[in-house]
Amino acid sequence: MSKRILLCDDEIHILRAAEFKLKRAGYEVRIAADGEEGWEAIQTEKPDVLITDCQMPRLDGLGLVQRVRKHAETADLPVLMLTAKGFELSHDEVGRKWNIRAVIAKPFSPRELLNLVNAIFQEEDSESATAVG
Amino acid sequence: MDSTKCRNVMTSVAAALSIGCAAAWLAGWLTDAGPWPVRAFLLSAAVVLAGSATALLVHHAGRSRRATERYFNALCEANPDSLGGLGAGTALPSPPAGAVWAEAANQLQERLAEFGRQIQELKHAQTVWDVRYRRAKAERDRVMAIFSNLAEPILAIDDYDELVLANRSAEEMFHFNSEKTESRALRQIVHCQKLIDLLTTTCHRKTPAKRSDELEVEDDEGHRRWYRVTALKLTGGQGRSGESAEAEDGATSQGAVAVLRDIGDQKALQKRNAEFVSAVSHEMKTPLAGIKAYVELLVDGDAEDEQTQEEFLDVINSQADRLQRLVDNMLNLARIEAGVVQVSKETRALNELLEEALNVVQPAAEAKQIELVADLSPMYLGVLADRDMLLQAAINLLSNAIKYTPAEGQVTLRSRLEGNEVRFEVQDTGVGLSEEDCRRVFEKFYRVNKNKEMAPGTGLGLPLAKHIVEDVHGGRLAATSTLGEGSVFAVTLPNAGQLT
Repeated sequence: MSKRILLCDDEIHILRAAEFKLKRAGYEVRIAADGEEGWEAIQTEKPDVLITDCQMPRLDGLGLVQRVRKHAETADLPVLMLTAKGFELSHDEVGRKWNIRAVIAKPFSPRELLNLVNAIFQEEDSESATAVG
Repeated sequence: MDSTKCRNVMTSVAAALSIGCAAAWLAGWLTDAGPWPVRAFLLSAAVVLAGSATALLVHHAGRSRRATERYFNALCEANPDSLGGLGAGTALPSPPAGAVWAEAANQLQERLAEFGRQIQELKHAQTVWDVRYRRAKAERDRVMAIFSNLAEPILAIDDYDELVLANRSAEEMFHFNSEKTESRALRQIVHCQKLIDLLTTTCHRKTPAKRSDELEVEDDEGHRRWYRVTALKLTGGQGRSGESAEAEDGATSQGAVAVLRDIGDQKALQKRNAEFVSAVSHEMKTPLAGIKAYVELLVDGDAEDEQTQEEFLDVINSQADRLQRLVDNMLNLARIEAGVVQVSKETRALNELLEEALNVVQPAAEAKQIELVADLSPMYLGVLADRDMLLQAAINLLSNAIKYTPAEGQVTLRSRLEGNEVRFEVQDTGVGLSEEDCRRVFEKFYRVNKNKEMAPGTGLGLPLAKHIVEDVHGGRLAATSTLGEGSVFAVTLPNAGQLT
């Protein structure tokens, strides 16, 4: 069964580019146009990785991550954050505070995004293997 | 009778009695030696002689006493000015001739004359100092009035860290009254550790120096205000009570002074500029992200079929156009503000222009499922306008309304003839604006805080519309709003009548 990835971004062309790259790598990708839509999608079917933009209408990326971390069922969901925000957002601080695996600055490379997603799953796989062994 | 007169009279009487007794003794001796007529004659002569001598002595004593009295009275009544100005022997009487104390009197007179001269000099000096004092006092009062009324708070301390001077602004800022404060210790008067540290450190530095820092202070209404404090070590002159604290370089320390300058506007401008740069960078990065991502997909060969490749190239093209629009928008505003834009005004039909604007924003409204309503006047509304610029203003107002109206809301574009003016307005059912936001929404780079996350923007669309309407077309653009219900942006322009 392929891994499920949820992409949240209000810029349709960004969504399409990331979706295209990840789908070609064999992942199952769902998309959401804002944080609220993303939260609904998570509640419907929990993804294996969440990739979200920071600045979105209705509910922004940080708001979405806060909700994810607050609920026990989703608290451990690996999150990658895309952002075009400037100096007002400290990537390290945000990453540490909300346990975000990586904060990726826009313009981003779909190739690097895919590598990060692959790394998350490889890490999880090796942890599972260690646990079983 | 005073003691001097009494002594003179007594001396004269004693002399007369001595002479009389001597004469009586002589007469008594003679009476033993001759017949009585001779003795009687001699006795009479002795009496007459004694009387005459006594009278002479009394007369002499009286004259001497009067001369002495006149002399001393004149001396006592003498004006100190005449003493100094005329000198001894001129304005003052001479001591009585033959008086044994004449020499002493002359010396006394010379001393008096010297004192007189000194008094005159002192009086002159006093007049000069009086004038100088009045001038200095007037100057001090003027300087204190200026100092007191300076808008910048100013505080000065001495070497003992005690407050020696503070103007009204400083008193108001730190809530104290210099005249009523019991303690002069800076730490007990001013409750701002950063300012205290800056002033005292500057004061006790070994070398004269100017130090500066930024300070955030809460005002009476609880608003935090930013100040730039400049502290300067004061040197030169005597310290307090004549004591002097020698600085290392030899200059005498007189404490330190701090001047506070309100930099609230500067800070707000910095913040707005930072927000603008952040907003612009965000707006530029978004299309750049699209361009970079699709170029990489093409380079990596992810787009295998021709249709996908064309789709990716279209995205790249549209994102490049988006970037171009953003740059154009910024440049337009800069050019209009700088007054270098070419304006080409002609009489135009406002409704036609508004319909064109509606067509431009229609796709954006449809994407958000917002109903776009055209409520245009059936009458011809002529305006003297630069077509492209007024169209841009109408598009900006409509785009703004669509951005901040939730999905399934409504945006209405209305036009009317009102007396000698034509009016068009954009009404939305959006999130609305507070009173302050209504006032500030036309400021360049200003973005309503709670709406920032709702839609991206540079805070340039509305300022640009206002410039176009008011500066280029001589009209008015105003916003009215109710929070949670929506806003109305109304444009009023002079009526240009029929199409020429």
